[in-house]
Amino acid sequence: MDLKVLNATIKKEFQIRLHAYPMSFMVGCILTSFYTTFGAWLMYHYFFRKRLAVDFTELAGTSDYMSYAIVGSLMYLFVVRTCLNVSRTLITELREGTLESLMLAPFKRTSYFLGNMLLQTFMTFGETAIATLIGVFFGLRIHDFSLLKFVVATLLSLYGFFGLSLMLGCLMLYARDTYISQNTLFTAMFLVCGITFPKEYLPSWLQLIGSIIPVTDALTLMRGALLGGLSTESFMLVSLRVFILGTIYIVVGFPLMKQVERIALEKMEG
Amino acid sequence: MKYFMKVLLAESYKQHRNYFNNRLIYVSLFVWPMFSFLAAYYSYRAFDFGGNIISYISTENILVFILLGYMAMSFFRSVVQSAWNFSRERQSGTLEYIYLSPANRLAVLLGNALSSVFESAVVMFIFGMLIILFNRSALNVNIVGLILVLAIFMVMALLWGVFLNACFLYSRDTDFLFTILEEPMEIFAGVKVPVVIFPGWARIISCIFPLTYVLEALRQVSLNAASISSIKTTILISLVIIMVLLGATLITIQIVEKHMRKTGNVVLF
Repeated sequence: MDLKVLNATIKKEFQIRLHAYPMSFMVGCILTSFYTTFGAWLMYHYFFRKRLAVDFTELAGTSDYMSYAIVGSLMYLFVVRTCLNVSRTLITELREGTLESLMLAPFKRTSYFLGNMLLQTFMTFGETAIATLIGVFFGLRIHDFSLLKFVVATLLSLYGFFGLSLMLGCLMLYARDTYISQNTLFTAMFLVCGITFPKEYLPSWLQLIGSIIPVTDALTLMRGALLGGLSTESFMLVSLRVFILGTIYIVVGFPLMKQVERIALEKMEG
Repeated sequence: MKYFMKVLLAESYKQHRNYFNNRLIYVSLFVWPMFSFLAAYYSYRAFDFGGNIISYISTENILVFILLGYMAMSFFRSVVQSAWNFSRERQSGTLEYIYLSPANRLAVLLGNALSSVFESAVVMFIFGMLIILFNRSALNVNIVGLILVLAIFMVMALLWGVFLNACFLYSRDTDFLFTILEEPMEIFAGVKVPVVIFPGWARIISCIFPLTYVLEALRQVSLNAASISSIKTTILISLVIIMVLLGATLITIQIVEKHMRKTGNVVLF
């Protein structure tokens, strides 16, 4: 780990955010979270008058639909923001013309990506806080808070999302496209990761896809830490799964990124 | 008229060549609405349908109910996307050439919207029709009403597209359009959750979106076998919206042209 690179990356990115950052991105993401929450609120309070399906409580581990859906939408906001920014870093450098000079510098990939991730996490916490306030207004309640579980869930989620971002970053840099790849992944995640409904409702092949995306399990952990309904044994089991998934993504992601960088540099002007 | 058609066809053909050179376009036009539709459908499974307050919606036809919403939205969405692409023409300078030519402005805009409405939404439309055919029992159609409503629907989607395109002739800032039109349309126009159950303030917002009215009419005639007389208010409002959109477009085109003549620059403004 090269702290100098880490530090420099954070500083550089922070300067970019401060001076040339499209605010509409941030506002757009908070709005997305708002619309999801709002849709769930309409369905729960106005369309079905608080009547849930019989199997919901058992599958979700809580009978509070609004909190369930809001925690989901907050987590979704978090994933979208971190993945989006970390995976876009290299392709943004390519587009802005700084990739070549970056490659000339003897920089460590790990520190570079970690620096980006750290800054982004910090920023995203701010946005999620705003979205949480909106969520509280729509009925977000914490039922069974466990600090230890919350910390574990947050750290493991970040670990998993970091792996996911690396993979997405490879894909983006290889295809030199951000619009299609990011939006496809995000809409797919919204479907298979159990954001607003228990994933058990999905057909099994979609559940299978959901289980290889760390977001699904990370969300289960986060809900367990905030809303309860998850025994300590299953919490540990799911934690282990997120850790293993994240590790696989990271172990595959870094070498793959190196390969893709080479390809990207080769056809940079093409 | 012959000349108008010529411009219209030429522009549609140009847009076709422009957008469909890459197969990935189908991902954004078909896969994304598909995923959103499925997510909406499964999120309904968390609820007990006995508690629902709209008599004509049940567990049997909720699939078709949501699907109709997403199909209709894919038409309206495709024109937003086409308007977004159209704004690139201003940046790349082709808009200037179009304005130098004697081509009818309305024909150009109409051609643009026409190609995107029909080509973009066709995949979603075919898919939706297949699903609906498999779920025939959920339908309760008033055929005459359906034909009328479909005709109104098409005209409205088309004019909505023309109007958005015209707005982009005036302004360069296009990102706001997505923030305003993409997701709010999904929620407020009743694509996912029917507008009837909205609280008052949300209903007022929903009135802004033309999709709200045609979608309601479309669902009424295909799921509730509503007679034309029972949905005549919705149809009348839709017709008024069509007139307003057409009028607004013509006025915008005039204003834009005047403005461009005065400032003398299409590309950079």
